[in-house]
Amino acid sequence: MSTLIEPITGRYVTVQIADAPRRIYFEEAGQGRPVLCLHTAGADTRQWRHLMNDARITANNRMIAFDMPWHGKSLPPEGFQTEEYLLTTEAYIETVLAMVDALGLEKPVLAGCSMGGRIALQIAALHPEKFSGFIAIEASDFQPAWYDIDWFHRPDAHGGEMGAALVSANISPHAPEAERWNTLWMFMQSGPGVFRGDLSFYTRDDSLIARLGQIDTAQTPVHVLVGAYDLTCTPEDAQRTADAIPGATIAVMDELGHFPMSEHPEGFRPFFAAALDAMPRGGMS
Amino acid sequence: MLTTLHRMQDQLNRSEHLNRLGRLFSETVLLEVDGDEFYLHFEKGRLERVEPGPSRKTPWRFALRTDRAALEEFWKPIPKPGFHDIFGFVKIGRGRVDGDILSLVKNLRFFKEFMALARTDLARTDPAREGVSA
Repeated sequence: MSTLIEPITGRYVTVQIADAPRRIYFEEAGQGRPVLCLHTAGADTRQWRHLMNDARITANNRMIAFDMPWHGKSLPPEGFQTEEYLLTTEAYIETVLAMVDALGLEKPVLAGCSMGGRIALQIAALHPEKFSGFIAIEASDFQPAWYDIDWFHRPDAHGGEMGAALVSANISPHAPEAERWNTLWMFMQSGPGVFRGDLSFYTRDDSLIARLGQIDTAQTPVHVLVGAYDLTCTPEDAQRTADAIPGATIAVMDELGHFPMSEHPEGFRPFFAAALDAMPRGGMS
Repeated sequence: MLTTLHRMQDQLNRSEHLNRLGRLFSETVLLEVDGDEFYLHFEKGRLERVEPGPSRKTPWRFALRTDRAALEEFWKPIPKPGFHDIFGFVKIGRGRVDGDILSLVKNLRFFKEFMALARTDLARTDPAREGVSA
């Protein structure tokens, strides 16, 4: 078997968020138009590894992904040991904008999945001037929880294993078995309380609903992608969301679920490539 | 349904992986299919007994209530959206989960993988599933 060194490189950057430093891990691959990628709740940058290793994507797109604080290789803030982690829309937006500034990204496309897609739409409404367009994957205006988020942080059970077992409901049966389990592994590894804290943001903050109508897709296009096997953000949820954004486009991916870039990269690639094609070339236009 | 459940019982009890996964799970689960009751008596990750109902005196920890057509779709190699997971049944209005749901969630991977034992294409990934037919 030959050795393969992947083109993805990983580094750390320290940014100020809420007036305190955060050491954030980020990866990148490719060159050309920057595309900033946001992972789902309870997971990390590894969800994007297939697209970042795909020469057809990276030939003219500089793919960048980072681990949110508390996730993956990004440490929680100092004093976390006595803090209840609860992600907020404000902190999430601040983090994304801080990364754009820290990395000097010129009008990147913002591509986010699940809670990352939700925040991409929030940013499309509130801070569109820094971006060239938005790809909102498995993204909806609001999802109340059909489960108790406190299940996933308790001393008598492993939140990561329970979280993985829950989100497996969102993975398509078309997904290759190995990638299904690689996707679930990230949830199993998630730090205590992190998935719960992400879900708190995702299932309790409905502020996006009122903001969707103010997104100006003439300036920054919005393309929504949704998998038919996604039980959390169903095609109906995504369609309702797209309908509320004048000019937004949507594609339903019949054989994919809630983690398309991770669970079934070959199935997702053409949809993502088409979404990129729908985005203007930011700083160059 | 009883024949299928007995076949799943055999598969489970021959699966070292699932017995290990469910080693702390010793509970009775009520599976209700089109109103027919089946009490599944699990003991340390093994299914000791499948007891057909009806019964008003058999205590159970949690219940999954659904219909046979939903289960048959669930057991296809590639189920339709919504039928691909037991929580999908709830989402699309073809099932209910009652009782101690936290007990289910703590053992969710074990119970989901048990329920999927009758799926017909999975022999390649788990030797315990070999021989399962439609």
